[in-house]
Amino acid sequence: MTTNVCILDYGSGNVRSVYNMMSQIVSQVTISNAAQDVRSATHLILPGVGAFGASMEKIQKKLPLKVLKEEIFTKKKPFLGICVGMQVLAETGHEFGEHKGLGWIEGTVRKLNSGNLPLPHMGWNEVTIQKQSPILKRFPHNPDFYFVHSYVFEVKHDKDIVGTTLYHENFCSVLFRGNIFGVQFHPEKSQKVGKILLENFIHI
Amino acid sequence: MKKKRLIPIVLLRNGWVVQSKGFHEYKNLGNPFMSVKRLSEWASDELIYLDITRDGEYDLRRDDLRDPNRHDILEIIEDVSKMACMPITFGGRIRTIQDIEKRLFRGADKISINTQALREPSFITNAAKEFGAQCIVVSIDAKLENGKYIVMAEGGKVPTKYEASEWAKIVENYGAGEILINSIDRDGKKSGFEIPLLCSVADAVHIPVIGCGGAGAWEHFGEVFDETRVDAVAAANIFQHVDQSVHLAKKYLYDHNYPVRPPEFFEVS
Amino acid sequence: MTYCKRCVYPQITVNLNLDEDGICSSCRSFEKFEKLTPGYWVERKKRFEKIIKETSQKNTSNYDCIIPVSGGKDSYFQAHKIATEYGLKPLLVTYHGNNYLPEGDYDRDRMRHVFNADHLVFGPSVEVLKKLNRLCFRKMGDMNWHAHCGISTYAIQIAVKFNIPLIIWGEVIWDTAGMFDPEDFVEFSARLRHEHALRGYEWSDLINDPRDPLTEKDLLWAKYPSDEEIIKVGVRGLYIGNFFKWDPNAHTKLVKKLYGWKESKKPFERTYRRMSNLDDRYENGLHDYLKYLKFGYGRASDHASKDIRLGYMNRKTGVEMVKKYDHVIPSDLYYWLNYVGMKEKEFWKIANSFRDPRVWRKNKKGEWEKDNIWDEEK
Repeated sequence: MTTNVCILDYGSGNVRSVYNMMSQIVSQVTISNAAQDVRSATHLILPGVGAFGASMEKIQKKLPLKVLKEEIFTKKKPFLGICVGMQVLAETGHEFGEHKGLGWIEGTVRKLNSGNLPLPHMGWNEVTIQKQSPILKRFPHNPDFYFVHSYVFEVKHDKDIVGTTLYHENFCSVLFRGNIFGVQFHPEKSQKVGKILLENFIHI
Repeated sequence: MKKKRLIPIVLLRNGWVVQSKGFHEYKNLGNPFMSVKRLSEWASDELIYLDITRDGEYDLRRDDLRDPNRHDILEIIEDVSKMACMPITFGGRIRTIQDIEKRLFRGADKISINTQALREPSFITNAAKEFGAQCIVVSIDAKLENGKYIVMAEGGKVPTKYEASEWAKIVENYGAGEILINSIDRDGKKSGFEIPLLCSVADAVHIPVIGCGGAGAWEHFGEVFDETRVDAVAAANIFQHVDQSVHLAKKYLYDHNYPVRPPEFFEVS
Repeated sequence: MTYCKRCVYPQITVNLNLDEDGICSSCRSFEKFEKLTPGYWVERKKRFEKIIKETSQKNTSNYDCIIPVSGGKDSYFQAHKIATEYGLKPLLVTYHGNNYLPEGDYDRDRMRHVFNADHLVFGPSVEVLKKLNRLCFRKMGDMNWHAHCGISTYAIQIAVKFNIPLIIWGEVIWDTAGMFDPEDFVEFSARLRHEHALRGYEWSDLINDPRDPLTEKDLLWAKYPSDEEIIKVGVRGLYIGNFFKWDPNAHTKLVKKLYGWKESKKPFERTYRRMSNLDDRYENGLHDYLKYLKFGYGRASDHASKDIRLGYMNRKTGVEMVKKYDHVIPSDLYYWLNYVGMKEKEFWKIANSFRDPRVWRKNKKGEWEKDNIWDEEK
């Protein structure tokens, strides 16, 4: 089956850059929230910038969650959440009050403890590969990716954490369970290593 | 460990990428996106793209080139976004929430406001609420007057009542996610950055600060990292003078053990 | 149309900018060069010598540098500086586009007689050249694109192939618009070449045309090396005009006297100068006429503007030169039509399609007309 990437559109953030980079890797890429596009896709990407609560609200309004869950949990389609798209996988988020997440990966989203360092955490930082996973293949030692966030996903179970990053505290920058992947950074903004990561994702 | 950022600035004026000398002399360098393609190929950390057009059209004044002559800033933003696989901040002539929305939709990751922040500081808060604070950069132009760094409005011409560090704290409280501090005195002079100005602003806030104005040699970037707490340095003209400029700058900094990404190249399709 | 108050450039001059005082960016850049005191030039010369020293230290080849030459007055001046004054051993590299005037052939071939330098002359197959002449004329209104490409590409290919890290160019040839100031110390770059020499076109845009088919193998000489290849050798392209005061009229006197350089026997039809562009008959002729058709100004405007700045003529005379020469249809039109096998009717149809509506309009009689600089007072 030819690769067909669906970038989920819920009106949040910059889907255009994800689309631009994905188009350089595969020929069939769509930006959509229609159930049929979700069903016909081979790979699903959830981008996201902005606040947890606002994003969850838009996701619930615009995305076919029932179909998504089916495709991800029953059909086991590879799914990648980027930045806030990774954070919404949590059970709860604590940005501007308490909000419910999708609850697909246990844990909570809370403010990054950056000590005296500036927030948002903005710029290139290393991802320490803790365990191997399909999207982290072919990387040089501790690749630098582009981060921009003030909140982090405190993942409950260690086994789900495959990459961490240090910014005063060590937080989870890459999570992985089965066919679900989450990256706190922006691969579509991370040039060479970003492209490698997305290529890895496509080959799953 | 998080790296310090080296950020090229591209200035757009009436549809041309230009060199700016001292905020009053402009030299046309080329079309809106070719410089961006090269900066991308040199794996720049980020890009700041500022529209400094005051009035008049966007027009390269010829239609015999291979690439289309763009007359609209939004089309230009779209072209530029396709060339850059790195974060882009767009600034210039942003007055409303819709202006921001249109730019983000076309591919901008962050937007920068200057004049509008001074006219209506609550605009910062509204924009941050709508799009996220990490998206909103406030750009500050400062000039040394009577021993103080005074914030200047209207393209660096009109003094305000604020000192730079004071205004920086104010915009942080209003919800800005990042600050771009530019020294008017040093602009285009190539004599190095205004270190005391950069220090005063970086020490006053907890959000990332980008220092700008005065780069004449790669060493000047190193000096900023040695002597201030800024998160990033930016420069415009210097990256337009030699080929592989960003690569060479990064190589200098990397070889001298500054915390920057190693120099590399990136293929832009 | 507005014109620079100092020289004779119209506002539409390629890449030009007119400031609030009505002075063009080219005059402003020149002003800055003129302000450089003898002391500054001494510093600039030292900077040049420093670069020569640094590159020679990492140079593993036997040539100290490459000088891209056409055989013109500038080429002689560059070779004079490098080989005669500094006693370095350059490799002269020429792109031969098959358009040389007889005096140009003489001057080019004479170089290795009068300079202690080796000379590499390269020319693509004439069949390929004819195709490019026609194709680029149709596509972009410029039959000389092959020359802009060859000149700005081949020397860099050789630098990479032979591990020669330094290329010495002359004047910043496409900087008639004053893009750069003396303190920028601008160097040659792929972007300047791509945007300003080649208008954004590359070899890959020119293959498989149905009327004039070309293959990748026909255009190997047109492929610019990658950043990696250039960084590996450390190739840099310096403009000698950044380090030594640039005055074409003075250079001509010098190279005539010292090396017997010859200028054109016949005056050119479209300019008053006799010492420019002997390497390509169309540069002052048909190619320049197409510039006039597009933008309403020609070589005479370029030369007069330069000479006004240098003090060789005043603006009034400059305007007279523009009036006399810019509009002239050169006789090498027929030479070219014969060379490439095109009919005159087809030529005019294509040429007229490139007239820029910002400049040209049709009058009541259906004739093309435009604003002219000598009508300014009216």
